[in-house]
Amino acid sequence: MISDDVVAQLEANCAREPIQIPGAIQPHGFLIAFAEHDGVVRHVSANISGFLATTPEALIGQSIDVLRIVHGESMRDAASHLLDEGDGPTHAGSVALADSLATQQNFELLLHRRGSLIIAELEPSAAPSQAQFASMYPVVNAFVTRIQEARTVEAICATAAQEVKRLTGYGRVVTYCFDADGHGHVNAEVLDPGYESFLGLRFPASDIPAQARALYISNRIRVIHDIHYEPSPVVPAVDPDTGKPFDMSLCALRSVSPVHLKYMDNMGAHASMSLSIIVEGRLWGLVSCHHLVPRPVSMHTRAACDVLGRMLSLHVEAKEANSDALRRLELRNLMVRMLSAMADRDRLGVGLTRHPQPILDFARAGGAAVVYGVDCDVAGNTPDRDVIMEIARWLFARGERDVFHTESLVQLAPGFASIAAVASGLLAVSISERHPNYVMWFRPEVPQTVHWAGRPEKGADDLGRLTPRKSFALWQEILRERSLPWQRAELEAATEMRATVLSVVLRRAEEMAELALELGRLNKELEAFSYSVSHDLRAPLRHIAGYAELLAEMEGDKLAGRSARYLEHINEAAQFAGLLVDGLLTFSQMGRSALTMREIDVTALVRQVIRELAPDMQGRTIEWVVNDLPNMYGDGSFLHLALRNLLSNAIKYTRTRVQARIEVGSQAGEGEQILFVRDNGVGFDPRYAGKLFGVFQRLHRMEDFEGTGIGLANVRRIVERHGGRVWAESEEGVSATFYIALPDAASAQALTRSET
Amino acid sequence: MLKPILLVEDNPKDLELTLLALERSQLANEVIVVRDGADALDCLTRQGKFSSWLDGNPAVILLDLKLPKVDGLEVLRTIRQNPSLSSIPVVMLTSSQEETDLVHAYELGVNAYVVKPVSFPDFVAAISKIGVFWAVVNEPPPGSMRLLRDALQ
Repeated sequence: MISDDVVAQLEANCAREPIQIPGAIQPHGFLIAFAEHDGVVRHVSANISGFLATTPEALIGQSIDVLRIVHGESMRDAASHLLDEGDGPTHAGSVALADSLATQQNFELLLHRRGSLIIAELEPSAAPSQAQFASMYPVVNAFVTRIQEARTVEAICATAAQEVKRLTGYGRVVTYCFDADGHGHVNAEVLDPGYESFLGLRFPASDIPAQARALYISNRIRVIHDIHYEPSPVVPAVDPDTGKPFDMSLCALRSVSPVHLKYMDNMGAHASMSLSIIVEGRLWGLVSCHHLVPRPVSMHTRAACDVLGRMLSLHVEAKEANSDALRRLELRNLMVRMLSAMADRDRLGVGLTRHPQPILDFARAGGAAVVYGVDCDVAGNTPDRDVIMEIARWLFARGERDVFHTESLVQLAPGFASIAAVASGLLAVSISERHPNYVMWFRPEVPQTVHWAGRPEKGADDLGRLTPRKSFALWQEILRERSLPWQRAELEAATEMRATVLSVVLRRAEEMAELALELGRLNKELEAFSYSVSHDLRAPLRHIAGYAELLAEMEGDKLAGRSARYLEHINEAAQFAGLLVDGLLTFSQMGRSALTMREIDVTALVRQVIRELAPDMQGRTIEWVVNDLPNMYGDGSFLHLALRNLLSNAIKYTRTRVQARIEVGSQAGEGEQILFVRDNGVGFDPRYAGKLFGVFQRLHRMEDFEGTGIGLANVRRIVERHGGRVWAESEEGVSATFYIALPDAASAQALTRSET
Repeated sequence: MLKPILLVEDNPKDLELTLLALERSQLANEVIVVRDGADALDCLTRQGKFSSWLDGNPAVILLDLKLPKVDGLEVLRTIRQNPSLSSIPVVMLTSSQEETDLVHAYELGVNAYVVKPVSFPDFVAAISKIGVFWAVVNEPPPGSMRLLRDALQ
């Protein structure tokens, strides 16, 4: 027996224990290792003397051929059939050795290659009646038939457990699969009476240290006939040529860690066998067999179990691949629908959230959100928008630029505890390298009751700290603030989706850049156009007017009345054309000049404009009603121009009134300030109110009211440059009211920010 | 003796109307006419066909903005960079109230910027005001001298 001191010491180092080089074997068989190239024996287990009339000392340094084989292939010949290194021990048949102490004793020979060594493990053959190789065929045949009928992974595992139990006679056979955290979840079980049930229990990941897991992948079957065995040392423990310890990673007889034996003892198992279930190269689960008393398992039975284990692995893999493929297909369909919705819209999130089902189904999420710039579009059950924005900033600060997922956001960021109900699970796909832009999915909290096989926390009590767990009794834990786990297929699809979304974003950015370029080009063209209009069009108009005037001066008295009138019309037309050109130029400047925004005293501005318009008011009686007007936020000279246009219109269109009345007032608006100019003039037909603000649009005959039709277009352009709006109301022949609404200072600044 | 007025104008109609306007303002100053920016600079610096001219600067330069070869703004810039010419009053005459030109001209040190009115009476009034102010009222910088008058083409 191993002393408790040794156990305590080894357990403290459990995770670091070099279990692949224990330097000893289980004593139900013996081991000889010889160099492949010369057949010279390098290591022998000390217990060889219990089986053969020889000693390690007598063998080491001799050729392996010293061991005379009475019946069967020579070890070197058998070794030559071995395939690649990395394969576990291969059954090379039964041999009879000349030096055998027991008569009629055959040995089952297992061979494998490790480095430059061939390792031979020999175990006494079982009585011929127990299991014959030939009997394996019907076993496998029956197993395959049953396993193919199984519909679920659990059913496949249950079938395997029954078969393994039937083959080995162990009292308890359980299968378990590992979750993402490495905890083993028991999903099938077959028991004899008197054995405690483990079905549905969860074994903590710490029960199997990492280096053991690694071994389980290369060494698919492990047997302990009796946990109270006395290990037999392998001599020499260190290879004298290489100075390295003898590597027993793949040995069937490898002595197991004392910690593991103690663990088994605590569980009440005195013999055990475990088979690895390997899916896509990783340890998916185990078939684990226990027996209350020591129980040997013959080589044939082990070989049969090994085959069952491999078939089980293949079937689990196929089953998982199948459901995975179905899920992938579904995800792909959803992704296509989602992306086509997105690509059709100007704003990324609108397409996603207008048809929320695909995006929610995509990640089987309760809610989803798209954060893009200042926009946050949501679908389904989500946290508030500002919390979502905060999550985006949190992700960005963490450096998440790819696909991020968690089943418990609160665990990573306790600040988000308040949203655990809707967003315990978070899957986020970054769609920008430079900005906190993400597509997010939220999964609600699903409180899970976990049935642990004993308390999993290490160090929670004195027993758990230094020795393996003693209690395997049910211990319930309720996990809160956790969602259902994200599946691999979902994460992969999210990664794929990220690439596609990025290409959509990129394409959009390219389109925007092209548009901006085109816009810049058009602006330049327009500038050049208005420049040449103002220069080149104005000069000939001036000439027409000039020469017409000169002609009138020189020949005026000779011209008949009609000719003089024609000449006058030429002059007038040229001058009006000049006004139109000037108006057009002003209008184009309106759109190009930069605004200098400040607080404007509108009351003072209105009074100033009224003074400037005095020449237009000569001989008129106008009652001005200028109320106290609020200050507005805008460009002083542009607003001046706008007011001048509105007030001069009011003066013009009231000139048929004996008593004209023009009122300038204000109204309260939401986030804006509204100014109006109301007159009791001729007004306009309200049906044409929409046309009023167009360039060169006039609603009156020229002989009634002169004008270029550019004034209100200028007003509209100025107001729109300020982010405001204009409109007009009228009762024809009675009154007209023109409104301009400008964003207040706060709204105007917010608008400027969002543009940059 | 009155100093001459240098008129730089390429458009023959504008030239005729401007000369007419100057005539009507009854200025006694001679008017020297050149037809593009390059000639204007040659004339001022006595180069090329102007090399035999006597020294002395005009009382004022009436400069059109759009000119062949070297445009008005470029002529203005060159004048302001030449120490012997930089003090000559320059009045920019242009068809356009285009703001960028206006700003540019003032940056280059123009003395006045006049948009030619379309109406002929207004045009005559504007030109004679300019002529009277710069050629008569305004005291020109020292060194201005009477020049030979170039023939009208």
